[in-house]
Amino acid sequence: MLKAMKAVIDEVNASGGVSGRQFELVVEDDETNPEAAVRAARKLIDVTKVPAIMGTWASAVTTAVAPLCWESRTFLTTVSGADSITKLPHQGYLIRTQPNNYLQAAKHAEFIASMGVKRCYIMSIQAPFSQPTQERATEVLKQKGSQMVGGLIYDKDKTTYRSEVDQALKTNPDCIYLNGYAPDVTILLRDLYRADYKGLRFAQSYAVTSKVLESLPVEVTEGVITVQPSADIGSPAYDLAKKRLGIAEPDSYETQATDWASLVVLSIAKAKMATGTAIRDNVRKISQGNGTKVYSAVEGLKLLAQGKEINYEGASGPCDFTDIGDIIDCKFRYNKISGGKPSLLKVA
Amino acid sequence: MENYVIAMAVSAGIYALMALGVNVIWGMAGMVNLGLVGFFAVGAYVSALLTLKLGLPIAAGMGAGALATSLVGALVALITVRLRGDYLAIVTLGFAETIRIVASNTIWLTNGTDGISGIAGPYRGTLSPEAFNLLYLAIVGTIVTVAYLLAERLRASPFGRVLRAIRDDEQVAAVAGKHVALFKVKAFAIGAGALGLAGALYAHYTSYIAPDIFVPLLTLYIKLALLAGGLGNNRGAIIGAFAIVFLLESTRFAIPLVPGVSAVQGAALRELLIAALLIVLLRYRPQGLVPEQLRQIPARAVPPGRYQPTA
Repeated sequence: MLKAMKAVIDEVNASGGVSGRQFELVVEDDETNPEAAVRAARKLIDVTKVPAIMGTWASAVTTAVAPLCWESRTFLTTVSGADSITKLPHQGYLIRTQPNNYLQAAKHAEFIASMGVKRCYIMSIQAPFSQPTQERATEVLKQKGSQMVGGLIYDKDKTTYRSEVDQALKTNPDCIYLNGYAPDVTILLRDLYRADYKGLRFAQSYAVTSKVLESLPVEVTEGVITVQPSADIGSPAYDLAKKRLGIAEPDSYETQATDWASLVVLSIAKAKMATGTAIRDNVRKISQGNGTKVYSAVEGLKLLAQGKEINYEGASGPCDFTDIGDIIDCKFRYNKISGGKPSLLKVA
Repeated sequence: MENYVIAMAVSAGIYALMALGVNVIWGMAGMVNLGLVGFFAVGAYVSALLTLKLGLPIAAGMGAGALATSLVGALVALITVRLRGDYLAIVTLGFAETIRIVASNTIWLTNGTDGISGIAGPYRGTLSPEAFNLLYLAIVGTIVTVAYLLAERLRASPFGRVLRAIRDDEQVAAVAGKHVALFKVKAFAIGAGALGLAGALYAHYTSYIAPDIFVPLLTLYIKLALLAGGLGNNRGAIIGAFAIVFLLESTRFAIPLVPGVSAVQGAALRELLIAALLIVLLRYRPQGLVPEQLRQIPARAVPPGRYQPTA
């Protein structure tokens, strides 16, 4: 992700920067620990006096750093998924390029309905996202003419989920949405196989990792469908990011980092001022609306210099934001497991 | 820059308060407490929840946080009264992890892994961030000073003397007619109270707490602060805490000066450097940065002429 940001900044600087000034990327380690992250952010804000901090990953780190940012009028871009983050009183000083649970649940439900599923059942691990995901998925399935026939929340670290599986199968579902992590989804897949369940199984990619696929027999995982937020692989911005980074398939995070750097640069150029408040006030002017569509920071800078309006379309998605800083739309990648390997079903 | 230095001084002050608390438990009474971050968490959560959900004033919340932690400390001490050394260390480590897991799962109360945000700070919002930092530094500074004076008083008192006797040989202290278990529980409660107060100070300063903050790494920082400063020594505890924060933060500025190191390598190198410095310190100065203080302890604790054999 750092490389992706650096690549954008280098490209912008090579093209002459903004108003003759160059961008500098300063890096601090958040140690994925809120306490350490706060100290690192203090240094960036008070000593380096950065206008924007890009790239807090863990939700707890983002929630810890965000108050410093809005109090000191510093812009923050993040990938943290917890719904609560954009609901903080951040006064606009925060955007998130990662789809939140609400958006993810809706997209997942749309996909499940599109597979012709009539009766879906959801099994979730005990986690902050469980309840909201179940509620939202139920809502959307209903809208799409399908139905959520039931759901349960299970405890992690159990050695078997046989009773949970029995409970689910009682409702006679033709799709089971396994909303958990790798250790428990492994056991659930095994128990579902033992119970001779033949319907669709749907899970997040992070729960059906290559390790999980290795540890389970091929017939247990055959046909499982996995989903993950995806880079917008069809977009010109994605092709540009590929070239810039020199890698064949930049992942979702690398493309999000690409978009942060581009959005920050363009906002500063639009405002002609490098402050957090200037970025906040201009980020939506360059990322959405009726301006000319641009797919890279350099391209956008040229048009801005000519006094034109632009609409940045990113490598991770269209980069349009709601008032509280959530993205409005994004792509998801669906894989189907066959022969113990995931293969691309579609990106939608 | 000033604001950053002030913020780091606040961090160091909170570390110092924790080090003072641990010094009572570990340095004076010899009970190894690897669960100090658990007590820190109890204080933080109690104060945050009381001020947020019941609308208590911040000072009352902090007081309640310290008091609650003190009670929890007494309870833990009662449960572990027969455990010593490594066994006590493991149980206290388990205690801290238990607190963290309870905080992660008691979602209705603690908001689970999302943590509690928007915790009130004194005059936050009406003051500029810089002024708020300064005010908080004054508060933390005052509390650390008072805690230091109290800890010094404790160290010099007969109570402190008994604690040191227990540390050096429990049996001898018992034979001398001291109620060892009671002293241990009291010492634990006092130390835990300081840890809880530090937790409350932290919560109201950063405005956000989550289970992820209360990881064993913080315990190690405080242990190292105490070891670096000089175990059993209150002034050492404070100096050690400031030294640790200085070390953590100064490496941030030193690493970019090293040529040919990428940012990611730099971050790893920083941790390595901190570890190396501490190893060097402990190898060549095991008595801590302020060893002369340690030597003075026996001299002060047993003034000649007032010494009376207990046998």
